[in-house]
Amino acid sequence: MLSRHLLGFLLAALGGSLALAGTPPEPWNAPYAEKTAALSLKGDIARGAAAFEICQGCHRAGALGRADGSYPRLAGQHANVLVKQMADVRSGRRSNLKMLPFADHQALSVQDIADIAAYLQSLPVPPTQGQGPGTDLARGRQLYERDCQVCHGKQGEGKADQFFPRISGQHYAYLLREGSLIRDGKRHNAHPDMVLAIGKYSDEDTAAVSDYISRLPVGSR
Amino acid sequence: MHRLPPVSSMPYRRILTGVSMALAFLLPASLHAADAREIARTVCAACHGVDGNSTEPANPKLAGMDQEYLMRQLKAFAEGKRRDDTMSAIIASLDSGDFAKLATYYGSQKPTPGTVRDPQLAAKGRALFEDGNTDSGVPACAGCHQSDGKGNARFPRLAGQHQAYVLKQLADYKSGRRATDPLMTTVGKRLSTDEARALAEYIAGL
Repeated sequence: MLSRHLLGFLLAALGGSLALAGTPPEPWNAPYAEKTAALSLKGDIARGAAAFEICQGCHRAGALGRADGSYPRLAGQHANVLVKQMADVRSGRRSNLKMLPFADHQALSVQDIADIAAYLQSLPVPPTQGQGPGTDLARGRQLYERDCQVCHGKQGEGKADQFFPRISGQHYAYLLREGSLIRDGKRHNAHPDMVLAIGKYSDEDTAAVSDYISRLPVGSR
Repeated sequence: MHRLPPVSSMPYRRILTGVSMALAFLLPASLHAADAREIARTVCAACHGVDGNSTEPANPKLAGMDQEYLMRQLKAFAEGKRRDDTMSAIIASLDSGDFAKLATYYGSQKPTPGTVRDPQLAAKGRALFEDGNTDSGVPACAGCHQSDGKGNARFPRLAGQHQAYVLKQLADYKSGRRATDPLMTTVGKRLSTDEARALAEYIAGL
């Protein structure tokens, strides 16, 4: 039974990568059936709280994540951003092998995705996120205002209608890791404009801007 | 003292009707319970104990487990999704119509505490149970099974379970012999042998 699942998964993954290799990359946030379906469902906060139990072993109670950056804070994130990320992870558009078994079809229904997203969006965001060393904040601010603010907003609140995530309240170490992956073209569901905007960042630039973001006020969405 | 009205009078009739109606509701339930206890005594008790607190470390304690979880496991054994030489043979002798009352019976028994033999190992287990392993992607057990290990309707009680049984289940998830939950298959594969031992030791003391 298990090996049949595994074989099916491997074949699907192989088929997917062959298909991707043979065609130009799909546009950022292009619609696909499951994401569209999840976005069209109304999420239920109470059901989402129950479904989130399989996530909280890593993302922690209240979805506050971990300051070491191993798992991001999800509390207060825009619901549609969360739906996109969950759907992208389980369809392989965002590679995350640690999370995959906990987000795949055996673990979550499409309705679960909508419910979890609604629950997470409703959660409070306390100012307890991990922050950087605070040694290069002037550079961080300069880079943020030049390259990031136009999409992620002055306060890091994101733009829900355009699927731009909220980044205020996020752990520094997670911002640094994902920022580096996006810069290096290793996070495959990233917005191409962001890859362009930060593609030439040095490690110090990435650290400085992550540090600045980790200190943005968390009060606003 | 007032004279009591005759038995045929209305107040008594009302009381008697009320009592017999209450009995009518109560009887099937108590028959069920007696029935389940009888099956437990004759079929299950040799391994699991009459009260669901097995004394043999290889056999799970069932007392206090969520009834839906027990039902799912009985069905899984009956359908061959979960296998065990003894249990798979015995399940064939049970009427599947009795599964629900057995699950209710064992689920409502009072669990006895387990025994921690190595407190240092249990302390390591506690860290893993509460925090998981971020390097290997093992989630905190507490996320699903709750901090007190008592579980809920979706996730089984672990608290006080025998070390040997917990270790066997983790190994069976890892090998695929137990395939009742894909998430636990993932967890079983990500846990090291030492981590599994530490967890089993901690769980025994919950």
